[in-house]
Amino acid sequence: MIYFDTSATTPLLPEVRDRMIELMNRSVAGELGNPSSLHTPGSRAKFELIRAREQVAQLIEARPLELIFTSGGSESNNTVVRTFENCPIFVSAIEHPSVLAPAEAFGKPCIKIPVDKQGIINLGFFKTNLEKLVKENPKQKILVSVQLANNEVGTIEPVKEIANIIKNIKQETKAKIYLHTDATQAVGKIPVSAKDLGVDYLTFTSHKLGGPVGIAALYVKTGAPMKPLIFGGAQENKRRAGTSNVLLASGFGVACEIAKDAIENYGKVKNVRDYLINEIKNKIETTIIITPQKSLPNVLNVSFPAAEGESTQLYLDLENIAVSTGSACASGDLEPSHVIMAMYHDAEIAHGSVRFSLGLNTSKQDIDELMTKLPNIVAKIQDLSTLNKETQNANK
Amino acid sequence: MPTNSKTADPWAYTDIVKDHFLNPRNFIMGDETKWQADGEGIVGNPVCGDQMLVKIRVKDNKIDDIGWKTYGCASAIASTSALSELAKGRTLDDADHITAKEICDFLGGLPEHKFHCSVLGHQALHKAIQNYKSKL
Repeated sequence: MIYFDTSATTPLLPEVRDRMIELMNRSVAGELGNPSSLHTPGSRAKFELIRAREQVAQLIEARPLELIFTSGGSESNNTVVRTFENCPIFVSAIEHPSVLAPAEAFGKPCIKIPVDKQGIINLGFFKTNLEKLVKENPKQKILVSVQLANNEVGTIEPVKEIANIIKNIKQETKAKIYLHTDATQAVGKIPVSAKDLGVDYLTFTSHKLGGPVGIAALYVKTGAPMKPLIFGGAQENKRRAGTSNVLLASGFGVACEIAKDAIENYGKVKNVRDYLINEIKNKIETTIIITPQKSLPNVLNVSFPAAEGESTQLYLDLENIAVSTGSACASGDLEPSHVIMAMYHDAEIAHGSVRFSLGLNTSKQDIDELMTKLPNIVAKIQDLSTLNKETQNANK
Repeated sequence: MPTNSKTADPWAYTDIVKDHFLNPRNFIMGDETKWQADGEGIVGNPVCGDQMLVKIRVKDNKIDDIGWKTYGCASAIASTSALSELAKGRTLDDADHITAKEICDFLGGLPEHKFHCSVLGHQALHKAIQNYKSKL
């Protein structure tokens, strides 16, 4: 199988597996307790949790106590948004659903920042509307949540510039504006420093960088407001109740430690990705390249006109090639990708979109193998289609 | 794409659907405008993600030949292919009574969420038959 779907989830790293098996064996032997317990097995578990938190914090240049372990990126994102319930919330139009849905439900109002064809947010729109809100009510809390990199198309958003705009407004008005970035897709692929970015909150997750599913982190800058989503015990400094998951945290920790050194290898991944762009451009001429220049090094989203994405995906699956699509048919709600709709305002482009997300092990040979199949598959689906080239030419 | 939990097959579709998707029957290769027909009908909308064109040749009040194009997912392609097999050789009245359920049964079933949006071929056939009759 050639796996071009690392943006959905990455394969577990063998070092992560080994560490988790080691901990499971110690747990079977009764050596590890609940990290909240004061006895020796509890302390051993607590030590593992502290070590994991340090490893995870280092990857984004944060202090360990600024990190909260959660069950996933969705929980981290929901926690931030719910902290600002009934406040104005700015989001980009192409945020992940785990930001968009709670912001729409709990923001008063939820203001969606439009994006251009590259998927980059309109900073002018943002600044104007933020200044207007602050002027109307200088005392209200405001949340701005803009992802660092988009999950479907890979666009990198100007988060640092957003932070500067907020900083300037705050200096002039003392407004209470807070910035969150969902860096789920970015962390591990490009260098990310919470401090450098100037954000108050940052979400990232384990299973996008070779760690296990079921654990993620939320960075909360010291002093930033934070309302727990789950109340109960005093875990995570009273910010997230529930018995600490030492096993998953340790796996996440190892994955982060490895990711820190692996980031430089994404230069090579980018070369392979760029090779794929050229191959597709040369061999499937009608293709629309959706992923912009300023993007993650490992993502390529394209749209094949007249070829519906689920069909392309299923034909490729039969050739043992795994990709993802923004077509409505592939989604649970039968709506085409809101990301590509916000960029192109064209359902056909969204229905025809296919995402290739590469990993550190993806080689040029994998691309060559893909390209022995892809042009024929696209041509076959286009020939079946009512929207094929002949029809379009005949209609002109 | 829902997974079939019984077989761990990533395909949510039956083998018959898969076969019609991979080896569609009676579809018009190349330029469909060159496929001479006595009647044609088109339904669906590319904005929704599904569109079907059905063309028929009529002889002795029967569907002598049928050709089609479909823009859409696997289920849309397979269901139009199935419709073409079901309709071929039938009288016009008989073919006009083919239902979405009949297409679905022919294919051994379709995922629930696909049934409503992608089984449209019989409507295109109905339009093609009307189109033919309007020319008489």
